[in-house]
Amino acid sequence: MTNKNPLTGTGVSRRDMLRLGAGGIGLGLFGGVGPVPPVLSQASSSVAANQSGKILVVFEWFGGNDGLNTIIPYGDPLYYKHRPTIGIKERDVLKIDAQFGWYKSMRGMQRLFDNGKVAIVHGVGYDRPSFSHFTSISFWHTAAPNSGNEYGWVGRTAAGLDPSGARDNMIVNIAESQTLAVKAPKHVPLVFVDPQMFKRGMFAQEKPVLDTLAADREPVGDAHKYVLEVTKSAAKASEVVRAAWSAYRAKANPDLRLLDLDKVVALIEADFPTQLYYVPLRGSLFDTHVNQAAPHDRQLQYCSDAIEGFFSEMQRIGRADDVVMYVHSEFGRRVPENTSLGTDHGTAQVNFVIGNGVKGGMYGKPPSLSELVLGDNLQSTIDFRRVYATLIKEWLGADATTVLGQPFETLGMIKAQRAEKHATP
Amino acid sequence: MTPRFQWSPGPVSWQDDVSPLPPSEWNYDRAAHLLAHAGFGGTPEEIEKLADAGLERAVESLVRYEPLPNPKMQPFGESGFWDPTLDRFPESRPDASDRAEKYGASMGVNVKPAGNRPMQPVSDRFFYWLRATMLETRRLGYWWANRMLQTTHPVEEKMALLWHGHFATHENKVRDYRKMHQQIVLFERYATGNLRDLTIEVARNPAMLYFLDAQYNVKGAPNENFAREVMELFTMGVGNYTEKDVRECARAFTGWYFDDLAFKMDPEKHDDGIKEFLGRRDNFDGADILKIIFEQPVTAEFLAAKIYRFLVRDEISPALRKQLGTVLRGADYAVKPLLTAIFTSKDFYSAASYGGHIKGPVEHMVALMKHLGAESMPGVPDFNQSTIALGQHLLNPPSVAGWAGGKAWITPGLLIARGNVARDTLIPDMTGFRDWNFNAGTDNVLGERLRDGYDIGAATAVNDPAKMSEFDRVALERDEKFNTRISGYIGWEQAARKLIPTPRVAARFDLSAIVLTSGAKTAAEAVDYLTWRMLRVPAAKQTRDALVAFLTKELGTESVDRAKTYMEDPLRMTVHLLMSTPEYQVV
Repeated sequence: MTNKNPLTGTGVSRRDMLRLGAGGIGLGLFGGVGPVPPVLSQASSSVAANQSGKILVVFEWFGGNDGLNTIIPYGDPLYYKHRPTIGIKERDVLKIDAQFGWYKSMRGMQRLFDNGKVAIVHGVGYDRPSFSHFTSISFWHTAAPNSGNEYGWVGRTAAGLDPSGARDNMIVNIAESQTLAVKAPKHVPLVFVDPQMFKRGMFAQEKPVLDTLAADREPVGDAHKYVLEVTKSAAKASEVVRAAWSAYRAKANPDLRLLDLDKVVALIEADFPTQLYYVPLRGSLFDTHVNQAAPHDRQLQYCSDAIEGFFSEMQRIGRADDVVMYVHSEFGRRVPENTSLGTDHGTAQVNFVIGNGVKGGMYGKPPSLSELVLGDNLQSTIDFRRVYATLIKEWLGADATTVLGQPFETLGMIKAQRAEKHATP
Repeated sequence: MTPRFQWSPGPVSWQDDVSPLPPSEWNYDRAAHLLAHAGFGGTPEEIEKLADAGLERAVESLVRYEPLPNPKMQPFGESGFWDPTLDRFPESRPDASDRAEKYGASMGVNVKPAGNRPMQPVSDRFFYWLRATMLETRRLGYWWANRMLQTTHPVEEKMALLWHGHFATHENKVRDYRKMHQQIVLFERYATGNLRDLTIEVARNPAMLYFLDAQYNVKGAPNENFAREVMELFTMGVGNYTEKDVRECARAFTGWYFDDLAFKMDPEKHDDGIKEFLGRRDNFDGADILKIIFEQPVTAEFLAAKIYRFLVRDEISPALRKQLGTVLRGADYAVKPLLTAIFTSKDFYSAASYGGHIKGPVEHMVALMKHLGAESMPGVPDFNQSTIALGQHLLNPPSVAGWAGGKAWITPGLLIARGNVARDTLIPDMTGFRDWNFNAGTDNVLGERLRDGYDIGAATAVNDPAKMSEFDRVALERDEKFNTRISGYIGWEQAARKLIPTPRVAARFDLSAIVLTSGAKTAAEAVDYLTWRMLRVPAAKQTRDALVAFLTKELGTESVDRAKTYMEDPLRMTVHLLMSTPEYQVV
């Protein structure tokens, strides 16, 4: 993957250009964009707010991904016994070793794995698993299985990183409506799907009135209080997001299909101060009860290509060392196939942690295919909160025990930090 | 004098108190509060009527609406897309072509006996119906929104909207606007009826049966999708049943399916064996199972809380939840007594319930039109596009769990979108508007190429054929059975030919007349009147003062009389700004 900027052909990333043009001329160099919008130059200068520069992107594969047809235990004859028709044939496996391999459409993630950038975590789950999409994902969102928490684990992580809640736009959630995982005690997450819808349309003379909407006032109740808070954060954030999005030129490249990760790239490229991004897959095809082969093939390819594209973009803008991505679903699927050439809701699943800072390889004990539990299901071997703790403590450097409410052993999958990070790729 | 805000939330001590509000506490402001929550708000004239009627009769007229004539309700006028050959529509395009291979025809269309792309007409037919049912469902949503606006039974439409989000199915999977229409009719009919009967009807409803994979729920191979959701989302909530109950429940519903628009039970596919369910044991069928579910006290509490949270406020205390559950169960799941209890309770008029509800997008759009005094939904902006921008696509909820509602309706982006939709409604972009029903999006280019004389291969090429050599262009023409990409375009064209167009008219209302009738003499009085008419929570003082300054400046005078010949657009901007306030989003 070349580091050359396709827009300038100079090999200098737009981020560097922004730095070169620190006085505020940067974007103008590309033509058509005009001078740097003041908010964007503010965003660039506020990068110091993210002291460590570390970013976590959670890419949630909602729907219940069939882990057994994702990282395929093709070396285990039991796999084919449980799945006589929808089991993935050995010839369709991109082999990792004599036991496991990637599903054939996941070449993008396979390439990242071969470059040592992907940790595959087997058997991730929790005790007394729920088979309901909504219940199980709420357990994952709150990190409170068979229990609950008013706030999400990402929202609490933000408080762990910034206990005063002083930093704006700590959390970005690319979703139609706020994901429970980002519900935060100290921060108002920025939630959007379409950056263009994030623009307040107005006639020129209306502006003085609109400027008063975020004025301080006594709320009349809980709902009103919430709307007032969001009004304030909306006023601050909307221009910045749109400026970043319209400045993001790589979105025009038809070979880059990033799903919603393109918005994350745009914000990171604009040096947005966000440390925590949460992106639930939209229009998921992962709930494969019926005729699963074609939709699962497609969904895995889309996701895998998007992840590879995302990291090539990080490489291009010189931020590949700063970003780790975490991929999980709300559960895996039942081991034996059903009578509709699909699979029903299950338990343990495979997770991925991806990035330059990750020690690639396979982690965890793969669940047995012979000793099934809870009606033909996998027995999980790693509590998902151990993966969370690894990300919170090893990667972000926050206190995982406070965030999660109890200590969890981390997995040692993050590389020791280099003393000095190079500013340019 | 123009009326001023008489903000009259009851004391905090009324919270959770279900005893009735004393008649002496009834006033105009509380009548406005009632109509905003029970329905979609209304004009001062409508609120005045409720205020004059007294609490008891006001609630009675809203909840027991049947005797009230409802002259504007019109049946849905179909474009005429459907014919019986579309029955048992293929689940996927490969399914459609498999049938064509096997039988020489599919969906009433024959395979061509000779020539290239012999199955093209079949593939076109498949896409015709996908586009047709999608476009017709947009019309259906628009039709329903007009019913919400024009009805004299607002509680009926408000509750139907609740049931649509509660027993959620989406057209995107159901792929049949007729079944979605059938559901709206069902939800209106049972809007305030008996909840057990409604749930049984839903379990027999073709859209729901298809949506939750009933066709795969057969004896010996039960599919748990419906069984799980009926307990988790429709009646009891998680934690009140075991995984075994889910499996036994699924068995009881085996063989339940439909034939076109009618429920059908196939005894061959039904498991008639003994089931153990929630501690009971018998050869239950689906209806028996639902009866058992409705015997559980938790079911009444779950549903009463759902209704309360939809109508009143986001949070409900465990004590109130129990009390309202008892009311619902005591009435054997008839909804009207519960609604009467809620609407007459002190709790409903307590400070906590004032401004405690964030309007959902559809509710918001209907209320907005009522505040403007418009009598029908506009065609510009498009109703569906507006609510989609606000996070709610009628007849296409995001999942079987429906819309999260409450605080989930508001994010920074969605809040800004609310202001934008208000602007587009008040000051519509008539010359810039494009009808999305006649816009195939990225497929438009295919139409241009075909009409330019390109063959199908060239028209669907990734690169622009105009920039290819003749040699390359000829090489594009392949021997194939059909081309799906072109079908996507042709299907849209064929559907659009039949589609009854939505009249693209701006909303009809007259703010100048409203302000003049109100008696407001100054810009400040006009702002205060409009605020009083449209907002349930007064705007911040700073905003109010800025609005007065704005309107005075736009009018060039403080005098309404002096400005009456040209004040319409300044007033529209004033209302756009009012509707952009945080206060306008709550009732």
